[in-house]
Amino acid sequence: MLHYVHMNRKKYNQLRAVVILFVAAIVALAVNRNSYLLSVAGIVTGMLFLALARFTAKIRVDEREVTIREKAAQFTYAVIAPTIGISAVLLLIPSRGNISVFSKGEFLYIESLGMIFAYLTLFLITTYAISFFILNRKYGGGSNEE
Amino acid sequence: MEVAVMKNKLKVYRAMKDLTQEQLAEKLDVTRQTIIAIESGRYLPSLPLAFKIAKLFEVQIEDIFFNK
Repeated sequence: MLHYVHMNRKKYNQLRAVVILFVAAIVALAVNRNSYLLSVAGIVTGMLFLALARFTAKIRVDEREVTIREKAAQFTYAVIAPTIGISAVLLLIPSRGNISVFSKGEFLYIESLGMIFAYLTLFLITTYAISFFILNRKYGGGSNEE
Repeated sequence: MEVAVMKNKLKVYRAMKDLTQEQLAEKLDVTRQTIIAIESGRYLPSLPLAFKIAKLFEVQIEDIFFNK
């Protein structure tokens, strides 16, 4: 028999704050001791604990919150995609040209960072396009007329 | 695109039924913040929620929500 913990949104938020502080302390300790494993273990444990707490507490997510999440995601995409796209161009152009400051070898990491940003932009745009295509079909946006 | 300005009488109907925002939220399975947002006109509910509200107060949707 499953026993559900009676937890409202306020209690969940308090628990989340405690878990975040705990994870932050673990990560700080891990950085201090130069241990990647400890930091990963701390973060994964924190995420699992919060997921479990959220599942058992049955936190209510209503339609207004879903709308807010949609708009926030839309805004985030609208900001992030152009920002990293422009950053990729700005980082790649100088390293391609014959600008003395960015002469080959000296600032190689800038080109690498530009490449990462460029691929990240492509990944974002592709993900957006695929999800748009799937959702458009799901919500009846196909071209098959009857 | 012209956005229609929707008004509602949710607060009036809630008062008629002598319900608090919390109680109405429980009955509609939404949060109290959503009730506050609908009453103040800052959030337009979805069609299913609007139907649910109308059914709860035993009136037509247009009795609660109207275009102004």
